[in-house]
Amino acid sequence: MNYPVWFVPTFGGGLLIALVAIVHVFVSHFAVGGGLYLVLTERKALREKSAAIMAFVRKHTRFFMLLTMVFGGLTGVAIWFVISLINPAATSLLIHTFVFGWATEWVFFLVEIVALFIYFYTFGRMDDRNHQLIGWIYFGAAWLSLFLINGIIDFMLTPGDWISTHDFWSGFFNPTFWPALFFRSFMSFMLAGCYGFLTATFIEDAALRHRMIRYSGIWALASLILSLPAGWWYLSVLPAPAARLVHGASPTIARASTTGAFSLALLSGLLIALILLSPKARTRVLTALVMITAMGYLGAFEWTREAARRPFVINGVMYSNGLPVSEVSRIDQEGFLQNARWVQNKEVTPANRLEAGRELFLHQCFACHTIGGFNNDIIARTRNMSFTALRGYLATIHDKRYFMPPFAGTDAELQALAAYIAGGLNHKPLTEAAGAGGDHGKELFEANCAACHGADILKPILAGWTQEKIRTGLDRLPSLNPAMPDYTGPPVDKDALAGYLVSLNHPRPQTAAQPAPAAPAAAKGAGLFADNCTACHGLDQIKPALQGWPRAKIRTALDKLSALNPAMPDYGGTAAEKDAVADYLAQQTGGAQ
Amino acid sequence: MNPATLIPAADPLTLPWGWFQFLLMLTFPLHLLAMNALVGTSLAALAAHLLPGPPYRRLSHELAKALPFLVAFTVNLGVAPLLFLNVLYGNLFYTSTILMGLFWLAVIPLVIIAYYLLYLYDFRFRQLGNGAMFVLLAVLALLLTVGFIFSNNMTMMIAPAGWGRWFTTPGGALLNLADPTLLPRYLHMMTGALAVGGLCVALYARIALKGDPETADAGVRLGMGLFSWLSLLQVVVGLWFLTTLSPAVLRLFMGGSGSATALLGVGLFMALAALMAGFRHQVGLAAGLTLPLLYVMAFMRDTVRTGALAPYFSLDKVPVTSQVQWSPLVLFLVTLVLGLAVIAWMLGKVATCPKEVRP
Ligand code: HEC
Repeated sequence: MNYPVWFVPTFGGGLLIALVAIVHVFVSHFAVGGGLYLVLTERKALREKSAAIMAFVRKHTRFFMLLTMVFGGLTGVAIWFVISLINPAATSLLIHTFVFGWATEWVFFLVEIVALFIYFYTFGRMDDRNHQLIGWIYFGAAWLSLFLINGIIDFMLTPGDWISTHDFWSGFFNPTFWPALFFRSFMSFMLAGCYGFLTATFIEDAALRHRMIRYSGIWALASLILSLPAGWWYLSVLPAPAARLVHGASPTIARASTTGAFSLALLSGLLIALILLSPKARTRVLTALVMITAMGYLGAFEWTREAARRPFVINGVMYSNGLPVSEVSRIDQEGFLQNARWVQNKEVTPANRLEAGRELFLHQCFACHTIGGFNNDIIARTRNMSFTALRGYLATIHDKRYFMPPFAGTDAELQALAAYIAGGLNHKPLTEAAGAGGDHGKELFEANCAACHGADILKPILAGWTQEKIRTGLDRLPSLNPAMPDYTGPPVDKDALAGYLVSLNHPRPQTAAQPAPAAPAAAKGAGLFADNCTACHGLDQIKPALQGWPRAKIRTALDKLSALNPAMPDYGGTAAEKDAVADYLAQQTGGAQ
Repeated sequence: MNPATLIPAADPLTLPWGWFQFLLMLTFPLHLLAMNALVGTSLAALAAHLLPGPPYRRLSHELAKALPFLVAFTVNLGVAPLLFLNVLYGNLFYTSTILMGLFWLAVIPLVIIAYYLLYLYDFRFRQLGNGAMFVLLAVLALLLTVGFIFSNNMTMMIAPAGWGRWFTTPGGALLNLADPTLLPRYLHMMTGALAVGGLCVALYARIALKGDPETADAGVRLGMGLFSWLSLLQVVVGLWFLTTLSPAVLRLFMGGSGSATALLGVGLFMALAALMAGFRHQVGLAAGLTLPLLYVMAFMRDTVRTGALAPYFSLDKVPVTSQVQWSPLVLFLVTLVLGLAVIAWMLGKVATCPKEVRP
């Protein structure tokens, strides 16, 4: 709202953040755990007086330096670049709040660099004690970087008391700080073991290779086991809505959690197999698999953490689209466009409606929805929805789908956004009568005329006009008043609109009856279905699932939708409405009785 | 469209702005120094491959070993000033970043590639032979491109008048090419970087390579040559830069503001003095003048920013949070002191550590 949007229609910034973050997470956790792995392995070499193990440590250090310092360091900067590009308002808030946390982390980053360079370049030159000490300094600095960044990252999910106190420390030591710190530390040790595998497979000498593989395996397995209670602790302190999301209310999150758990199980199995069968099971394919599953575990965790925050970037403080929570009610009153800086249409008019809708989409929805891209494409997501259905949907978007922010703006703005999505993107008529038994003409009026003049203003003007006169007038609106744009709907719509307008002054509508539906209740049910269900699934998609269901079963199911599938919100319609939907579905799926 | 209406509201500061300004001005020249050393050393290493004789061969090998460090420190020392810039000017900086998002993101892969190429140059020095020149050319091209991207962002963030272009080009593909200050500013920065980098090479040769007088001598000659001639060029480009400044900003340096005028005077004087020292190959004197000169330049640059923004934005107008909290600043300062102490201890250990690997 405050900032422009980096707008590449088919490419969502969220995906970019996720990609860069995941890559960075793997390398940066390795940079922490790997430090400990290096010093302890160096110690092992010294204790066992093994030049071969020392050579391994040295080689591993070089790989470690090339990976963590170059790639890890720069992907860390990359995350910062990407979030300021995609979430500038949130980045600004975080930076302002935690600037000295970050500055302190920068000091550790500096110490890390110096220590690692020295550690690598003085191998075999510096005396053992000091060399190990430098290794410990490296690990200490790296772990403290994790300590600091952990506070800031978890703040985004659970800002805790900061919301009321704005106190640096209460934001930093927030409710998920400690469990996440434990979890991340164990994760970093686990990854260190995994990368250890990788370099160990390159050891020439078979006996040493097996030893180092087994050594790395014990590392990874022990850390993995320790990470489980930490992860569980973490999940148990999540705030209620986030916890609900994690436990299945959002399909994507549910999927991610399952993937996480699945790869976790697979990982332990592989690790154990490797360790036990070590002589033969040293193939790189196997270690590569271990890497992939380990990263899957951590990746699922990070993904879940990101997703569990939806619809917020900073839980309870700011929505993912940069909208501060505290501003929403004011914006609903004053209008979004009025308050936004980077928009050209400050007000919705019939002429600019689609353009204004596009700007609203850009600032409120594009944060999570691409236009025609493969990531959460809004066109695909709304293909089944009519203009009317979209309007209803937007009005309660956050209540029905907690993981999306509420629409912020006036009613005219909401209509504009719905018009942009239905008309501008899906090329649907903006007049379609999909509403539940709705008066088609009335809807057309609301969609096309009410932005400038409501029915109460027109009523006195149209007093005494016949339906024919109104109908002719609709063909040449600009001649009635030059400020009025032409109405471009098809003749049937004009008929319906004229019927509605004449009814304003003639309570008995003279409107041409709409084609009589075969079964009135079912027609009503069709409308209700369109309004309430098609956002997620069209009739075709649920037909197979309902095959053979008797009407009574459908009707009962409508009372407890969330029990059928936790992702489905309960339907809040009246008993009569549920009856109608049940009639309709039963009729459509052949189970009518 | 009135550009002022586009400027995002700044978030409240957690301390009076002077603190952040102090830290920004303290750390930014250090980043410049590292960046200059990196860019200039790359050029010097390339030149050393072109010059005949074994001392130059050995010189380029020594420089090859130093280059990866310089990338690491350039990046690290860039983080601190960028952080304080985010605090002070985030609302402007994020905006220009979004406008040029594609280019801005490109910085990361460009630096990563340059970094790995420099490791290649170091670890594969012998195998590469004179093919190393192509590696260095690529590195220079990458680094100079990164510099150009930074110059674009730093000039675009202080020029809201061009921001309206976002409405027609929202894909992050904008640059600030129409700005008359862009090119001279960029060239001023880069000739300066190459020159100061030459000086760093000379300094490094004099101090670290003194065990091998021939190579040290080659390093000083090459480094000071680059420093002197490029500094001369830089003074000329700097004057050109001055003429492209908007009249209001130029007036500041021409007596309109006492401090700005003094900065310009002192800067010019020091630059000329450093130049003389350079042509006489007085490495220590040139270095002693150049480090403070970098600070003077950074302050002049800041004056340009404040002046250009004056019609739209001033740090004095940014609100400060009602309850100011000092403990995080203390945390940072204490950590900084401890961190520097640990670094000093570690460097001490390196200094006393034998050059040869134990058998
Ligand atoms: C915080 C991110 C976020 C924002 C902002 C957001 N959405 Fe969504 N939206 C989602 C996700 C995630 C889904 C898909 C959930 C799933 O099925 O996995 C979704 C699904 C949808 C669907 C499909 C129906 C449904 O309920 O699943 C529609 C329609 C939709 N969004 C419209 C919008 C509109 C219009 C806006 C802007 C006002 C918007 N969204 C803003 C995240 C967001």
